[in-house]
Amino acid sequence: MLAGIPVILLLLLIQGCSTAPPARYPPPVVEQGGAAPEEAVRPVVPGSIQTQPVPPAVTTTSPAVIALLGQAENQANNGDLAAAAASLERAIRIEPRNPLLWYHLATVRLAQQDAGQAEQLAAKSNSLAAGNRVQQSRNWRLIARARQALGDTTGAGAAERRARELEGR
Amino acid sequence: MARGRKRGRRKSRRKVVRSSFPWLRLLLLLCLLLAGYTVYLDLQVRQQFDGKRWSLPARVYARPLDLYVGRELSADQFQSELRALYYRPVKTATQPGRFSKNRNVFHVVTRPFTFWDGEQGSASLRVSFSGNRISALSDAGSGRPVNLARLDPVLVGSFYPAHNEDRVLLKLDDVPVSLTDALIAIEDRGFYKHHGVAPLAILRAFWANVRARGVVQGGSTLTQQLVKNFFLSSERTLTRKINEAIMALLLEWHYEKDEILEAYLNEVYLGQDGNRAIHGFGLASHFYFEKPLAELNVEQYALLVGLVKGPSYYNPRRHPERARARRNLVLDVMADLGLIDRDAAERARNRPLEVSKQGRKAINTFPAFLDLVRRQLQRDYRDEDITTEGLAIFTTLDPQLQWQLEQTLASGLQNLEKGRGSEIGKLQGAAIVTSVQGGEVLALAGGREPKFAGFNRALDAQRQVGSLLKPAVYLTALEQPQRYTLATLLDDSPLTFTARNGTVWKPGNYDRVSHGKVPLYQALAHSYNISTARLGLDLGIDSIVATLRRLGVEQRLNPYPSLVLGAVEMSPLQVAGLYQTFASGGFLTPLRAINAVLAADKTPLQRYSLSVRAVVDPAPVYLVNTAMRYVVREGTGRALYQVLPEDWDIAGKTGTTDDLRDSWFAGFSGDRLGVVWIGRDDNASTGLTGSTGALRIWRDLFRHFGNPGMGQSVAENIEYRDIDPATGLLADAGCEDVVQLPFIVGSAPSENAPCARGEQPLPNPVDWFKELFQ
Repeated sequence: MLAGIPVILLLLLIQGCSTAPPARYPPPVVEQGGAAPEEAVRPVVPGSIQTQPVPPAVTTTSPAVIALLGQAENQANNGDLAAAAASLERAIRIEPRNPLLWYHLATVRLAQQDAGQAEQLAAKSNSLAAGNRVQQSRNWRLIARARQALGDTTGAGAAERRARELEGR
Repeated sequence: MARGRKRGRRKSRRKVVRSSFPWLRLLLLLCLLLAGYTVYLDLQVRQQFDGKRWSLPARVYARPLDLYVGRELSADQFQSELRALYYRPVKTATQPGRFSKNRNVFHVVTRPFTFWDGEQGSASLRVSFSGNRISALSDAGSGRPVNLARLDPVLVGSFYPAHNEDRVLLKLDDVPVSLTDALIAIEDRGFYKHHGVAPLAILRAFWANVRARGVVQGGSTLTQQLVKNFFLSSERTLTRKINEAIMALLLEWHYEKDEILEAYLNEVYLGQDGNRAIHGFGLASHFYFEKPLAELNVEQYALLVGLVKGPSYYNPRRHPERARARRNLVLDVMADLGLIDRDAAERARNRPLEVSKQGRKAINTFPAFLDLVRRQLQRDYRDEDITTEGLAIFTTLDPQLQWQLEQTLASGLQNLEKGRGSEIGKLQGAAIVTSVQGGEVLALAGGREPKFAGFNRALDAQRQVGSLLKPAVYLTALEQPQRYTLATLLDDSPLTFTARNGTVWKPGNYDRVSHGKVPLYQALAHSYNISTARLGLDLGIDSIVATLRRLGVEQRLNPYPSLVLGAVEMSPLQVAGLYQTFASGGFLTPLRAINAVLAADKTPLQRYSLSVRAVVDPAPVYLVNTAMRYVVREGTGRALYQVLPEDWDIAGKTGTTDDLRDSWFAGFSGDRLGVVWIGRDDNASTGLTGSTGALRIWRDLFRHFGNPGMGQSVAENIEYRDIDPATGLLADAGCEDVVQLPFIVGSAPSENAPCARGEQPLPNPVDWFKELFQ
């Protein structure tokens, strides 16, 4: 379940600002998670309060978090799921809004037979992954598995459909 | 005559045998009694020693400080953490528990520590700081960069058993050989040879005492001393001496020398700290030198060994000259026996005592937070287990934030009183800081005197929340996007509501003015009571109660219209729990003060993991949070930006109750949520609104926390539109007043405002900005 980490890390590192082209009412640029955001250019609309969240520049996941993800993967592969969860929680303290971390915590919970919490954590990851279709579809796939484990076949099906929509299929 | 003589002898022998019989019987009886008594003592000895577990208090630790490049932390904060850990500043750091500093570069050798996620060995680290961040982190030996490192956690308290026993348990292997050698040399030279009692030593001591006409020498072996400390009270009678001797022999008979020595090292009485007795070398090391035993120097060992004879008489803080003399005597004996060489002994003799000042532990005492920890523990553990089983409790407390909070609350309240010319000391306050996404309690203040373990207002002061409840009302509305958006005009004209039972309710705005038609986001930003009341009635009180329940509010809620304006009592902690759900984007995140509990042998007993539950859709929460941004940009909370930088993304809500009895502010920024309450214990008026009171303290606190970083994530199905606030309709370049508001997709108004001349659409803000530079 954590086997995809190298791929995801690669994706994280090479993925820039992924957004739709600026529309008339610019949506704030999505974040990919990061530790030290650089100063962003602040567009100002005359006569209005700028209450939109500041669009962050391109951010990359910090080496500390990458190290913890690796550690969590090792621990999970050795069967020590509690330790893997602790490593991921530690990473979340460093980058609280990194959706990947919440996703991996959800997979650990699923492995620990806590499907209910797995679904919630995947939903949390979704809430932090606006605009990131790849992450969202992975989350929905996990939600589908969690719902299946809870016996909610209809819900699982709905989640699968969301995943497929996001993947453009 | 031979026969006569023989008869005489026989007669006399018989006479001798007959007359000695009763004495024999008596002797036999005495022996039997003694044997029985010995068996009884033997049982006692084995019972006590076999099952011997000392009552070990629970140790409570703060969060460990994680070190990584880019982490927001100043050199000063790092140094204060090292100080709280009793790390010693030295010229060159080579041993654990030491650090050296060269301008903004630290070299730290960390102590090994067993965390809840496993053991961590000692590390030699080089940490560089630049502009309030860690700029570099490497292994001091190899120079290789280090991704992540962790200091051992600050000890923030202990839970003691009723009789205030305390120990830092040592295994014999943990104790330096020089210390045990010195101990044996001074107190019981024949320890390894005797069988519990040393008769020659007793005789020698007896003779010395007779000559000195007083008690100058003890003939007790270590074993006897152990028995004395362990079992018996401190009378000095002959019976006690006999008991002691017998039990010492029995102890030696059953147990190995090393077991006895180890027990002795943990049991010997070495000092007094108020009503806490200092037993054992482990604890004594912390008590006198604020360091673990392994980090002491030879003269410090010698002092401790010297204290055995009389901890009060040789108390180094009360009688430093005596203590020094005694220490040097021990050093001499050690040199005589070749335990240390003469030069080392000479150097050690010349060193000062270096005993720490008593009571310094207070800097790490956080009674309000410990109170919260204890309550959370009591759900899973009995009091007896908490205070005697030697648990290691790993909490979420951030000492850096806690120190800042305590200082800011105390000085803030004082400044408020001075500024208003009020009597100093009447205002009280409470505050909580949590992490937004993780729901961890980072700092907690139960009153303005943080070291005072009195009424814990953060947990127990149930006070009316007033306007703090309004976001829940607006959330209920915004969850119905077809009926309500941030642009929906609400009616703030005077309202009179007659309940079914005839009671009349006529809410008024704080500024006593009614504002006509106001867009929903402004009604919340300015905390208008009338429009909120009307909104609440339109929604139905039941639906608001349902929302509050979903948000995790468990209080009794009176289903009357006054609920809408906050006629509910909550503690600051409960308010934090409520706002946590808003800040986290609609996820109920139960607040945690504990991460994990380990048993005394370091096995994990319990983990309190991060858990969340989606209770509200993120989109309407995003809308409410946007309105709460307006609270602090142009509404009741705008005093925030008089001090804080404009580019900090903050959302919050002020709260003021009738007669200004309570002043509240709840706000979140980046990954920090803070709730501040000000009030008086006698419930009299504070003369402060949420804005003039609690908000100021929140503002000072968050100013010290530094740049909060990225703001909230936008929810998925949200789009922004330009709106004319007067009409709540679409605006364009022809309108004077324009606000950009978020809407749930499909709910934005489709009609243009009258001011919109249907001209070209407003320039894309990004293009406008670029134009400035072309």
